[in-house]
Amino acid sequence: MKFIKNYLPLAMVMVVGLLMLASYYIPHKHSVDYVELMNKWENIVFAFAFLLGLLSLFVSHYGKIRRRHDGWGYSIFVFVGFFIMVIPALMSGGKQMIDGQVTGLGWSFRYVYNALSATMFAVLAFYIVSTAYRSFRIKSGQALVLFIAAFILILGKVPLGQMAWESVLGWTGYGIDRVIEWIMSVPAVAGKRGIMIGIAIGAIVTALKIIFGIERQYMGKD
Amino acid sequence: MTETTWIIAGAWISAGLTIFLFSFLYKDNPFFKMAEHLYLGAGMGWWFQVYLYSIWKPKVFEPLLGGDFFVLIPALLGLSLVTQFIPKISWISRYGFTFMMGYGAGMEIPAKLSTDFMSQIAGTIMPFSLMASMSGFDILNALIVAAGTICVLFYFFFSVEHKGSVKKISNVGIYFLMIYFGAAFGNTVMARFSLLYGRFDDLNTSAAASNFYATQIILAAIAAYFLIHSFMGKKGQAEEAH
Repeated sequence: MKFIKNYLPLAMVMVVGLLMLASYYIPHKHSVDYVELMNKWENIVFAFAFLLGLLSLFVSHYGKIRRRHDGWGYSIFVFVGFFIMVIPALMSGGKQMIDGQVTGLGWSFRYVYNALSATMFAVLAFYIVSTAYRSFRIKSGQALVLFIAAFILILGKVPLGQMAWESVLGWTGYGIDRVIEWIMSVPAVAGKRGIMIGIAIGAIVTALKIIFGIERQYMGKD
Repeated sequence: MTETTWIIAGAWISAGLTIFLFSFLYKDNPFFKMAEHLYLGAGMGWWFQVYLYSIWKPKVFEPLLGGDFFVLIPALLGLSLVTQFIPKISWISRYGFTFMMGYGAGMEIPAKLSTDFMSQIAGTIMPFSLMASMSGFDILNALIVAAGTICVLFYFFFSVEHKGSVKKISNVGIYFLMIYFGAAFGNTVMARFSLLYGRFDDLNTSAAASNFYATQIILAAIAAYFLIHSFMGKKGQAEEAH
């Protein structure tokens, strides 16, 4: 039983991982076909992983409603929101427009999902500003550098900031657009590259640990 | 219902949900919680239909109906994940997870190696091979990028203790990181604000007479709720004090 429960899944990680890795570097029709097949399989498995998340959410909220848990009434809206999107999708075959006409799914997407999604992220604008107020208390040279970079970026993207820059520093001949372009393509690139290289090394090492079964926390407990 | 009615209904719903979510800026309230839960459900509903019509239907159901039983392998691997809900046989889900981990790990190595590792190093070195055709300013920029990248890498290099010259170099690296974080922060702020303008524009559209002043009415209603709620709360506190 231990073979089926532990060793076989670990062998599967190793075989799938090594074959995927090898296929990338072997320029052969079979390796290309293998990668395509795995991509397709991964899409299917990932879709079922989504189903796992969906069922988990439903079980959790259904439990709250059944037990009349605090705030159980809100859980009903999870199901309402789900059906607001799914029922029109089933009716229109997943299409937002048919013959130039907006379908029920298109309507739900525009007036419900898009409104909620955009507002949820827009609300973050206020919190970012309040965070900025706290984090931009300049206590060190490093904080000052961060502040200046952020300030120039924000200033340069609003007309009022551009006008202010022109009136104060216009005599230098350097427009704020050029300064932003320089920041983004020179010092910011240096910082980003260091991070990207570091992340790449970390990701490669972790991937190797997964393939060779050193890292196996995702298997859960026995 | 006519098309106009649908548009008006949409304006009311969109304005209502937007105001409900913005109401959290004042304080937590039932309208926000309702909209928040609705968002969660709508998001899951949206992705459910995306997967249904882009994966399950064309890549699983239709091939199966056409006699291609090969797709049963990934489908069963996927379905194995759902055994997580049955503790006695939850170990079966390992097959689905291990497939995803193996695929992800195998794909990650060449992808990271080529895009995030090799191409970043190449991007740093390449300008030096073109120095003959570069202006003095471009050469200076290339030097700053190369020196900055090395300094940042020193900052992330923990195999040696950060003291002496290593500390000095890694300190310079922190400045480059701060510029990147500042720039990324500035861009994020502006992206969020552009979303905010979009929501205000939508509220403005819903406020039109053709939409029966949806924004104004919902805004007034929610302000009235907060006023009454605040008044009732104060009254309750006063009664408790007596």
